[in-house]
Amino acid sequence: MQRQMIISVMAKDRPGIIAAVTGAIFELNGDLADLNQSILRGYLTMILIASFDEEVTVDEVFARISAADGGNEFDIIIKPMQLALESGMVTLPAKTYIVTAQGVNKSGLVYGISSFCYQRNINILDLSTTLTEGRYTMILQIDLSHVESIKDLRDDLECYALQSEMHVMMQHYEIFRVTNEVTMK
Amino acid sequence: MLRSDQILATVEMIQKENLDVRTVTMGINLLDCRSDNVETTCYNIERKIQSLAENFVPTCDKIGRKLGIPVVNKRISVTPIALVGAGYNRAQFVRLARCLEKSADIAGVDILGGFSAQVEKGLTESDREYILAIPEALAVTNKVCASINIASSQKGINMDALAMVGQTVKDLAESTRDSGGFGAAKFVAFCNQPGDNPFMAGAIHGTGEADAVLNVGVSGPGVIARSLERLISSHGAENLLIDDLAEEIKQTTFRVTRCGELVGRQVSRELGIEFGVVDLSLAPTPTVGDSVGEILHILGVDAIGAPGSTAIVAMLNDAVKKGGIFASKAVGGLSGAFIPVMEDAVLAEAVGRDELCLEKLEAMTCVCSVGLDMVAVPGSVDADTISAIIADEMAIGMVNNKTTAARIIPVPGKEAGDHVSFGGLFGASPIMPVRNVGQSSRFVAWGGRIPAPIHSFKN
Repeated sequence: MQRQMIISVMAKDRPGIIAAVTGAIFELNGDLADLNQSILRGYLTMILIASFDEEVTVDEVFARISAADGGNEFDIIIKPMQLALESGMVTLPAKTYIVTAQGVNKSGLVYGISSFCYQRNINILDLSTTLTEGRYTMILQIDLSHVESIKDLRDDLECYALQSEMHVMMQHYEIFRVTNEVTMK
Repeated sequence: MLRSDQILATVEMIQKENLDVRTVTMGINLLDCRSDNVETTCYNIERKIQSLAENFVPTCDKIGRKLGIPVVNKRISVTPIALVGAGYNRAQFVRLARCLEKSADIAGVDILGGFSAQVEKGLTESDREYILAIPEALAVTNKVCASINIASSQKGINMDALAMVGQTVKDLAESTRDSGGFGAAKFVAFCNQPGDNPFMAGAIHGTGEADAVLNVGVSGPGVIARSLERLISSHGAENLLIDDLAEEIKQTTFRVTRCGELVGRQVSRELGIEFGVVDLSLAPTPTVGDSVGEILHILGVDAIGAPGSTAIVAMLNDAVKKGGIFASKAVGGLSGAFIPVMEDAVLAEAVGRDELCLEKLEAMTCVCSVGLDMVAVPGSVDADTISAIIADEMAIGMVNNKTTAARIIPVPGKEAGDHVSFGGLFGASPIMPVRNVGQSSRFVAWGGRIPAPIHSFKN
């Protein structure tokens, strides 16, 4: 029986972090399934799924990764995983849309748009935001599978845009995919 | 998810730069509608078009809304009517035109093309009757468009048809005098007419095609213009070579064509009708920011018609084709840059300022993708001169193995320097002067056929 764990590490970016973390897992005979990492303004955060032999505990993994961290900078969170591992590629829902929102930076923008989605049963599949010269841009990949009327949603969005003083647009994800990828499928 | 910059650039393209699917055109075969009398034939035509096109307009709108790319025009093209009406007389052809008009109304499309004939090698008796029917047919209908293929690289130029067509253009204009000769805007003469062009007025459903097919015409001169401007402003003109501009046009055309491909495939799937081709032509409209002329300005001529204009159109046309071809499973129709004078505010302005003359326009048609299109000339120009203008355009297409077309509008009662306006998509422009009027009658009078060029013998 394998014990699956979700491991998350955050640290100021430097060469060797991934080597350190995955090295620790390797030493414990762990099996690395999936890994996702991103870097934001010099800070690295990674999340990964690994499975170990049953006897290996969360504390042991924590200790081993900490030991690999020479400078004592890693923030480590480990949780045992309850769900079964899904295999294969994840396909996007048919009603995947991209919302872009741009406006003058002020607090509450991401909270505003994410609440808007939550209230309408819209799952946010991916989110990316940037701040350039006082202008805030949010790009959300959303799933509209549970939205009754997309036309009504467009009207709603227009109101939201006016209220929050943002420029908001929504297009189907397919457009972005076919205009930027070589294969059309 | 894709990179943020790619996403934002795509959003700009759609929202700010007039990217749309210019037309989805359903091509419908009518050969199986022919019956032993014209009334039954009409009934069959109406029934067939109605059954195929019943959900056409709503489906295009639905897909357009779902994706967020509007399908601006929904149109129908049919088998050249001279084939469907083989053996008919003038009156019967006019009857067919009325039937097509009714079908267009029922389907809810704004234009139906295919009141056409293919006479590049010779004219049958009913072909002649068809030609004679054109002025009346287009005067009593609004939505029907006509075209005639009078030349091809394989067969040469049919000079008998050419002579008739010059007169037809005049008669068309005269019978629609009150609207400035608008009838002539609904009729195009072709060399090497494609059977799958989705743009009007020259769209037909060619023989050799399936029973019904969907062809998509994308467009977006505005998108190209804005992307070139962005490139120039971000890099500085002094740091760019002309091939950098060609590359930008190519890549932008790729994106534009992909949008058309996406819409086309989805409409096709939804309707259960075969997807034909994407025609990736840069087709301007009179709307500000939707001009091919503007692209020519950006690419380096201050006056359109100045030396360099032909070279620039050549590069633009070629870059558009290259970008589009990779983007689509099947590219067809005309696919290139259009230079329709009345439909492009910047081109029309150049005519008004005497920068763009007929001769230079003709030169540019050697390297563009259509021909002398939507050119308003004085109403006093005689039929033979009009035939001769068309003949020159046919020769260019025939010898260079390309499609060329002529859509000349002799505006009754107006002379060079006057102005004509058709409104809407058909636009407006000053009347273009024609030099050497009335000097070509002996040439047109010969009749017969200009033989196919030597390179047509490929066996």
